[in-house]
Amino acid sequence: MFKGMPKIFWMGMALLYGWFFLFLFLELTIPGFPLAKFLGIPGCYTYNWILGLWIIPIIVSYLFYSSEEKREAENQ
Amino acid sequence: MGVNPIVITGAVLYFACIIGIGWYSRKASMDASDYYVAGRKVGPIVNGSALAATYFSPASFLGLPAFIFILGYPFWWALVGIIGGMPIATLLTAAPLRKYAPTSFTDYYADRYDTKWMRLIAAFPTLIGGLAYVILSIVGTALFLLAILKVPFPVAVVLAGAVVFAYIYWGGMVATTFSTAFQGIAMTVASVVAAGYVIVHFGGLNGLTDAVVSNSPNFFNLPYVADKPSHALMGMWTGVVGFYFTWHFGFSAMPYTVVRFFTTQDIKSARRSVFWAVTIGGLMYCGLIIIGTGARVLIETLHPLMKTEGITSAIKLLVHMKTAFGVAGASVTDYSMIAAMESLSSPFLLSIVAAGGLAIAMATAAGWTMVLNVLLGRDLLGKVFGSKWPEEKPIACTRVMTTIVVLVCMLLAFNPPALVLDISGAAFIVILCSVGPPLILGIWWTRATTAAAGINIIVMTILSCATWMYANAVHKSAHFFFMTKSIVTPHQFYWVFVGFIFFIILSLVTKPNSDEVIKKYSLDLRPDAD
Repeated sequence: MFKGMPKIFWMGMALLYGWFFLFLFLELTIPGFPLAKFLGIPGCYTYNWILGLWIIPIIVSYLFYSSEEKREAENQ
Repeated sequence: MGVNPIVITGAVLYFACIIGIGWYSRKASMDASDYYVAGRKVGPIVNGSALAATYFSPASFLGLPAFIFILGYPFWWALVGIIGGMPIATLLTAAPLRKYAPTSFTDYYADRYDTKWMRLIAAFPTLIGGLAYVILSIVGTALFLLAILKVPFPVAVVLAGAVVFAYIYWGGMVATTFSTAFQGIAMTVASVVAAGYVIVHFGGLNGLTDAVVSNSPNFFNLPYVADKPSHALMGMWTGVVGFYFTWHFGFSAMPYTVVRFFTTQDIKSARRSVFWAVTIGGLMYCGLIIIGTGARVLIETLHPLMKTEGITSAIKLLVHMKTAFGVAGASVTDYSMIAAMESLSSPFLLSIVAAGGLAIAMATAAGWTMVLNVLLGRDLLGKVFGSKWPEEKPIACTRVMTTIVVLVCMLLAFNPPALVLDISGAAFIVILCSVGPPLILGIWWTRATTAAAGINIIVMTILSCATWMYANAVHKSAHFFFMTKSIVTPHQFYWVFVGFIFFIILSLVTKPNSDEVIKKYSLDLRPDAD
């Protein structure tokens, strides 16, 4: 099952799910965690709103297409 | 609150752009290939923007802010789950399916599972989900037309049906791809501009947060660590995780996005288009989080109707809207996003948001209607039941199907069965647990069998629909586990995971497909087969 799937796929999945479950765990165990200040604003705007919602998916989707293009270029 | 000429002008400009793009690309949809898959000549940025506009619907633009308005901060994670699920499609389905290059969603099921009857079986959940989505798109278009024209909801539904019908009838996939790409930009600009207005109004993110906490003290509360969670549905971890996964795998396996992988120039474009869809769609979602977070405090402190006697909260204001404009069912809560924008008293902002809302609603309606009319015409009438009509007159056939689909959905949109996001969630789970495993494991597992695919689609369609409807009827919410109200399971999301396990077990105990079929439609589609 999933034979031939590039390794970068599993690394990307680990980053996406690792980020979600890590910060959800922190939120469920540390009272007031989303509103704890980070860089002068509530932390949830950094780890959830900007990084979790937008930047990390962009990074993962970039890694997915660029690594495949690199592999294809090497094969040619 | 009357009709504002600036808001009308914004909507007219939007429609002028759409008609202009349709007119410019009219000669491009002359044969069946162009009409169905845009001649496979769409580049990654255009396709990525079109993907984002098609995938995100009024369920996103209206529904997600409405659910943040209702459920509070923990629902932010649902948006993270949706965008986070998009990159997965790059390698899981986008590249393999573009390499396979079919015409229709059901082509893969018929070829990989080696029988034309798989088209018919796969059609059932696709039809259920597709009709639900066209209904919610018409409801979304109607709510924005209501905001622009201040007409009664039933009139807005008729207008919305007419607009959606005309748009798809003349377009096909070429016109809808290019105009949908424009719509992707329009909806993102609308969301970001609206979020900017909200942040500036409160003097920054700290000001917004302080105002929200002051107005709704439980808004940022999580279960287990606060005396009271933000909402009963967020009272246990399964609520947060369930909403995260409800839409998570949709980008990889929902028919209306999968078919857009078929339209790209090549595999490289298919992969890159996901990157652009994530970039554009993610930015729009950043805006939606801010809008949803500020919605209640904006409505309750600034909306003009709050001065009306008897209206003391945002909920009462929405109930007033329901009475005044005849908005049917639960859909009035979806108006909370528009009401929040009305609160800022900027006709310019409302015109941009209305144009963005119309864009996202029409794009999704077009994407799903194209899936359904190809499914009903080419696939079922032609391929399964042997009619020559879809092959000889493909455009006439799909236009007849478009007429039927839009008419049926418009009639059902007069009284929507639930909030647009609830309709969306139900449609996602039904499709993902039934046709999702045979699609994804069909590509990535040689042992996937025809019997397992057929049984899984039928059983999971029945189970997911029945349990959703049971929970909705008995527990008054589809977000409680159908057997007990003490467990929160949004949209009975667990069926997606159960569907994959069920499919694997069935495949292991049934007869494998032929080596030729497995090589052509599984092994040859993988990256290392180049």
